[in-house]
Amino acid sequence: MKLHVVFVVAGVEYALPITFVLQMESFTGATPVPGSPPYVLGVVTLRGRVIPVLDLRRRFGLPAVAPTLDTRIIVTQVGGRVVAFCVDRAREVILLEPERLQPAPELLSERTIGFVNGTYTVGQRLLLLLDLPRISESDHDHEPHALPAADDHRRPALPG
Amino acid sequence: MSAILVVDDSKVMRDMVVACLRAIAGTTYTHASTGLEAIERLSLAHFDLMVLDLNMPDVGGIEVLEFVRRQDRLRALPVLIVTTRGDEESRERVLRAGATAFLAKPFTPEAIIAEVRRLLPEPAETRA
Amino acid sequence: MTTSTDLKEFLTAYLVEAEEHVALANQRLLALEAAQRSGGHDARALREIFRSLHTIKGLSAMVGVEPVVAIAHRLEAFVRGYDRLGTAPPLHSTDVLLKGVQAIAQRLTALGRGEAASPPPPELLAELDRLDSTQAALVEQSGPELDLEPELLAKLAPFEVEQAVRGIRSGERGVIAEFFPSPDRAAQGFSINSVRERLSACAEIVRVLPRSLPVSPESPAGLSFVLILLTQASDEQVASAVGVKAATLKPFSTLRAVASPDVPDSIGAPAIDDEENDPLAAGVRRGIVRVDVNRLDDAMEELATLIVTRYRLARAVAALTARGVNTRELSDVVADNARQLRSLRAAIVRVRMVSVSDLLDRVPLLVRGLQRTTNRRVRVELEGTEAELDKSVSERLFPVLVHLVRNAVDHAIETPDERVRRKKPEEGLLRIACRAHSNTRLELTVSDDGRGIDRQAVARKAGRPVPETEAALLELLCMPGLSTRDVATTTSGRGMGMEIVKRVVIDELGGELELATELGTGTTFTLRVPLTIAIVDAFAFECAGQRFVVPVSTVDEIVEVDRAEAVAVPANADGRPNLDIILRRGHAVPVVRLANVFRMTHEPGTGQKAIIVRRAGLPIAFAVDRMLGQQEVVIRPMNDALVRVPGVSGATDLGDGRPTLVLDLVALGTSLGAGGSARSALT
Repeated sequence: MKLHVVFVVAGVEYALPITFVLQMESFTGATPVPGSPPYVLGVVTLRGRVIPVLDLRRRFGLPAVAPTLDTRIIVTQVGGRVVAFCVDRAREVILLEPERLQPAPELLSERTIGFVNGTYTVGQRLLLLLDLPRISESDHDHEPHALPAADDHRRPALPG
Repeated sequence: MSAILVVDDSKVMRDMVVACLRAIAGTTYTHASTGLEAIERLSLAHFDLMVLDLNMPDVGGIEVLEFVRRQDRLRALPVLIVTTRGDEESRERVLRAGATAFLAKPFTPEAIIAEVRRLLPEPAETRA
Repeated sequence: MTTSTDLKEFLTAYLVEAEEHVALANQRLLALEAAQRSGGHDARALREIFRSLHTIKGLSAMVGVEPVVAIAHRLEAFVRGYDRLGTAPPLHSTDVLLKGVQAIAQRLTALGRGEAASPPPPELLAELDRLDSTQAALVEQSGPELDLEPELLAKLAPFEVEQAVRGIRSGERGVIAEFFPSPDRAAQGFSINSVRERLSACAEIVRVLPRSLPVSPESPAGLSFVLILLTQASDEQVASAVGVKAATLKPFSTLRAVASPDVPDSIGAPAIDDEENDPLAAGVRRGIVRVDVNRLDDAMEELATLIVTRYRLARAVAALTARGVNTRELSDVVADNARQLRSLRAAIVRVRMVSVSDLLDRVPLLVRGLQRTTNRRVRVELEGTEAELDKSVSERLFPVLVHLVRNAVDHAIETPDERVRRKKPEEGLLRIACRAHSNTRLELTVSDDGRGIDRQAVARKAGRPVPETEAALLELLCMPGLSTRDVATTTSGRGMGMEIVKRVVIDELGGELELATELGTGTTFTLRVPLTIAIVDAFAFECAGQRFVVPVSTVDEIVEVDRAEAVAVPANADGRPNLDIILRRGHAVPVVRLANVFRMTHEPGTGQKAIIVRRAGLPIAFAVDRMLGQQEVVIRPMNDALVRVPGVSGATDLGDGRPTLVLDLVALGTSLGAGGSARSALT
């Protein structure tokens, strides 16, 4: 039995092993970093460290929504890397048995671009287990997040 | 020009001695921070006067003094001992070991200038 | 008739040197005490204590600090007695001596603050009076002997003989080397000081004795130094350090096997007969210059003006080039000059570095004092590193270390009785380890094997829910207002000073702080701090509603963009966007709107100020909305790959608790130019 944090993004419930979670906080804003991938909301300072905050909605290719009182930041650590995730809601910690993990249905996994390792069924609820390292990978085949060269006239960088 | 060797393990003290003596024109200064270094410098270059502290690591001032007096070349070198121990007994002991003059710390700039002027072989000064 | 020299000018230099001797005396007193507790005597430490006190006394007399003269004189007189006897002072006297040194330190601190030094405390003088009356009687003992020439042996102090015997018995070799100084040798870098320094890497120097010789080709100066050494290195290594042939080295050993492992002190060889004969080669710190940090800052300022001159030079060369003059050689010189200035800057930064061990060395004394007042027994383990850190970092870190150590001894480590009940060793363990975390960071851990921090108790006191993780617990501990002694002592939690710890480590130094604790087992605090503070002078400005900072050193100038004067280059046929050009000192400077580069939503019509930087000698102006002023900022790195983007070199906190991005406009200019457009827009 392992403890998991349960959170909600766009009405879907996800689970994350608590061993990866450093802390959870209300979302009070992040400083945008120009040129970072679109799903990076910005950076926040956590105990002296400047860490990126990822918007899971946008990471999943969903439209962004304005933060509400329920919006939470989940600060995770994998290896030496500390990354925070912005989610719609996170209120619950639940015990899950690793043996009961089932593979993710194909359709589902497509929608979340392979960010889900499998699913848990708890009563009537379906929980998706997040593949944490995968999700905080910078996505190279996605849009390049380095600044475009200034003569890239499709997106004018110089005053127009 | 008169060459003066200032020997003290305390940098502040060496700086203070040199600052006082700057008032005497025509002098150059070499610093040594240990007794051994002093002995080496004396053996390698000519000096007209040595201002020597007694309390030092490795070889103390008295030992430097005794060494100097055993060397023919250095027998006549004027040595001004600067020490915190200003009592009569110490003075006698130091002079017996071969010191030319003795100055107790704390000293005033005027006092050390007067001593050094007296000890330098020829009036080094050509000042106005 | 003479220019009067006011020795008061030397007060700062005096304080630095005197404080060093205070630190040295403290260290040696602890070494002396440690030796006494294990039933031995550290005669060398005693000698060094004497010397430090004596130096403090002499210096204080010169600058007229009478109270320190008086205290140092009393302490010195007491130590001198035992040094002459060759015996250890009684154990209880260490306390009084430490108090005396402490009294000196307090007065030096007062002087440093510009206050007067207060007279010696009467209770200290009374205690010294009592000690003086208990000085032991002289006991004559005979010592072991070495097969050294009698001439040499006679010059060794008892503790040097003891040192040699102990060394040989523990497997080291006794070696005698002879160094003949000469002007030639000096020119090759062989002087007695350099020889000693090199030797210290491969041998222990027992004593160096000067020997007077007839002048000969072998001894051109009529002098040699006989070096009495203990070593485990090869003859070749020792010989090369001295600069002689290995065949000239002579071994020496003990004359006879000494049965008893305890080598009694002998009287007979010279003790310090007043001030003569001070055979202390080991304690010498060679080649160290003490410098006031302010002077280094001055040097840095001077360097800054040099850099400005260099920019002007580069600009002048560029102007010549523009006029068609061949400036290749001149440009090479300018490039060399730039490189040299960079290494000069690095050299000055290095001068500011102090050893981490300077910081750690102060811990044992602190713990010793705490044990006394708290009735704890604590063993201190220090694990150092050769890392060096900026003096200003070291100075900020010290109070942090004091807080953590005090908390550990005061609150975490249990009383001996309680520890025995809990089946722990009676003596608590405080371990402080330092290691280089990376090239730029130092990791410092402070661990104890005490009772650990009780989350529930801390939460109760703070009136907050019980923290679930150690990180959350740490946050709670660092909460302002939790700093009551009450919390710390009654709940076995820690509160005292944690707020300060957090402020210094995280806010001031831009470092990290971590906590690991287990109830009943112990607590470890981990601090990661930069070796140098990345504090820079920066301009803060606003652009498209977001605040940024840019280091002053990278900025050429800040100009007002007058719309009327700016020339708009129209969009050309291939749809390349148009661009404003302004004229500065006869140069066409392209103006790039930062908001556009960063693709931020932007109100047109703003962008009245422009920050001009140079990339590869060419100016580029970044238009921003408004300048907010200049201030010193601490730069924190942004290491995560997701936010490592061109033009952003880190983040800082301008006081609102949120990160503000630190921009590298030169790199940003370069990344724009990489596509060729900014450059082509120029021509």
